[in-house]
Amino acid sequence: MKDIMGIIFTTKDDLSLRELTSARAVAALPVAGRYRIVDFVLSNLVNSGARNVGVIMQRNYHSLMDHLGSGKEWDLHTRNNGLFILPPFLTQENGGEYAGVLDGLRANFDYLRRSRQELAIVTGSNMVFNMSFEPMIRQHEKTGADITMLYTKVRASNMELGSAQKHAHAFLNVAEDGRVVDMEVNPNAASYNNISMNVLLVKRTLLIHLVDGATAHGAHDLDRDLLQPSIKCCSLKVYGYEFDGYCRPVETIRGYFRCNMDLLDLGVRRELFKTMPVYTKIRDEVPAIYRSGNSVKNSLVADGCVIEGSVENCVLFRGVRVGRGSSVKNSIIMQDSNIEEFVELENVILDKAVTIRSHGRLIGQMQYPIVIGKNVTL
Amino acid sequence: MNDMRKKSCIAMLLAGGQGSRLGLLTKVVAKPAVPFGGKYRIIDFPLSNCANSGIDVVGVLTQYQPLELNRYIGSGQPWDLDLTNGGVFVLPPYMKAKSGEWYRGTANAIHQNVSFIEQYDPDYVLVLSGDHIYKMDYNKMLASHIETGADITIAVRPVPWEVASSFGIMNVDPENTIVEFEEKPKLPKSNLASMGVYIFTWPVLKSYLDKDACDPASKNDFGKNVIPAMLHDRLKLKAYAFDGYWKDVGTIESLWEANMDLLKIPPEFNLSDARWPIYARSPVLPPHFIGQRASIEHSMIAEGCEVNGTVRKSVLFYGVEVEKDALVEDSVIMPYARIEAGAVVRRAIVAENCVVSAGCVVGEANGDIALVGQDTALPEGCRVLAGEQVDRLDVARRRHDAK
Repeated sequence: MKDIMGIIFTTKDDLSLRELTSARAVAALPVAGRYRIVDFVLSNLVNSGARNVGVIMQRNYHSLMDHLGSGKEWDLHTRNNGLFILPPFLTQENGGEYAGVLDGLRANFDYLRRSRQELAIVTGSNMVFNMSFEPMIRQHEKTGADITMLYTKVRASNMELGSAQKHAHAFLNVAEDGRVVDMEVNPNAASYNNISMNVLLVKRTLLIHLVDGATAHGAHDLDRDLLQPSIKCCSLKVYGYEFDGYCRPVETIRGYFRCNMDLLDLGVRRELFKTMPVYTKIRDEVPAIYRSGNSVKNSLVADGCVIEGSVENCVLFRGVRVGRGSSVKNSIIMQDSNIEEFVELENVILDKAVTIRSHGRLIGQMQYPIVIGKNVTL
Repeated sequence: MNDMRKKSCIAMLLAGGQGSRLGLLTKVVAKPAVPFGGKYRIIDFPLSNCANSGIDVVGVLTQYQPLELNRYIGSGQPWDLDLTNGGVFVLPPYMKAKSGEWYRGTANAIHQNVSFIEQYDPDYVLVLSGDHIYKMDYNKMLASHIETGADITIAVRPVPWEVASSFGIMNVDPENTIVEFEEKPKLPKSNLASMGVYIFTWPVLKSYLDKDACDPASKNDFGKNVIPAMLHDRLKLKAYAFDGYWKDVGTIESLWEANMDLLKIPPEFNLSDARWPIYARSPVLPPHFIGQRASIEHSMIAEGCEVNGTVRKSVLFYGVEVEKDALVEDSVIMPYARIEAGAVVRRAIVAENCVVSAGCVVGEANGDIALVGQDTALPEGCRVLAGEQVDRLDVARRRHDAK
């Protein structure tokens, strides 16, 4: 395995995730019963040989820092290298807030310079996928590319591309030899069906050089101000690497809902969890208890749950209680939520530690689930 | 000079025993490493008790099949015992300048590690065994030991009279002073059983260990030699009464029972107690999945399981698969075992990584607990009777005989 470094971005706020991201970064959003979204990309990096990972944070990062801790669950609590939490800071040349990824990288030049690895992977943190970056690295070295961009084909099964979401993506035209010949950023109607996964591989020193040049000219946006011009005028050799496995960006409530529901499919579970391990923060919980009277079908259930009611097509996070006579369908119930007796829930997302009192009833629509914010009692 | 900071009390955990009454379960792992309660191992209980009691130096004495145990304990991180000043230490027997020998008995195991203990210059030494399921605040016991000024305090628990003859029994006076100790008496005079938890005032213990080591007739055992010698010399031995849940899981039957205790309502033994958490080294697995045709009744299921069959009154450890139309009832299925389509498992313990193939019938609805030993792949249609124990070698033998 090659010694690489990873830089994870967690800056982008996503208003289309409603209450779920009002107090946390998208990267810290709980997903799949016991994970946070960032666990996937972080585990991918570690499984691909990264021993040095920086996480650039911007807003609402308390929950993320709490989750990552010393990085020990990812074996990143080492003496050299390891996990670096990079929150914004104020200096003379630094405004504290980043207008784009380039500003975030510029602000952390010291960290980039001090790192020893030859190659860096710069990645976003809202994509749920499990992949080894090793073949991508091999291709990068074989083609002699300056930058290799990870992309996937747009498929109805993996993307939730309403008009609102198309705006937030870059699409690539990839030639037969793998070279990226055109890039569209946030188009209304995309000309290509290769969607960028916001993961790029580049030599660390070249990254510093490029970011320095771009920010010196007042640029902020990685896609629009750095990658797009370099592709257009062929100033850099930019290649694409296709990932053809399961991946889903979490950008909207619907995407979040679908991402969790995807896990009820055996194929998706295998791909996401059997390919390579996905590490996450450990919480000491007792295995789930099924009491008499329960009926559970087609659901994902984490440790610490106590179930007496009926549960169908659901994802239950750790420590969820479903009381006697209650019925929960097509719902996502986050950590420590308590559904008391004779409650009826359908198409609902309950954030952490929500309590639904006895005989409560909440019925949402599959297309637009009801979201109840953290710590609410109904 | 010694750069270790003095500790008032340190723990020594006796984990070297084979646990031969657990049959095939302890053929390749030491008893303290035997899985329990869906995600734990027996040793998690004394280690978590130490962590929760603030005892942060734990020496674990190993000698029988230590591989799994060593891997499990690792740096001690799950129990917050990966410390700069203290922590958990695995202590196997080792060669010395003039000789080298195995641990000959429980007292000898401690005696061979006197230099480990003295690094911390402790006033008291807590001696534990890795055979029991219980939650106990050792600090309260230590406070009582200090208050009474005892030389040894032994934790005792009342057991039903009819089984008292299978325990080490303490006969005490009204002040809880131990006047007599009987190992498995035929006619017990008391029903206070030793829990295998001792606190010794260290200088006293040390002198008795030295004395015991010089006696060639001694079996170098706490119960058989050291404690009787102390009683004989009229030292101050106090019983410390404990009335919480405590279960010896030394036999297949009792291990099975202790697992079933977790399913009772309210549970006879509550594992999810935020004030006294039991820590374990957690596997890296997603939540478990319950399929469309599955049916779960009154069971405990850990992460990473895939259940498509019927599970009743059972404990499924992490990574277990129960395929469609399979039935698991009144059973304990240990990590990563697979129960294939149509197989039936009743009143049984199926150990780690086993495969119970399609059409197998393991155990019976009434009768003794059946056991399938670690890494055994039962061939299709195989039968394991009530009370029977089967492992890889038996399967190979059966196959050979069939030819």
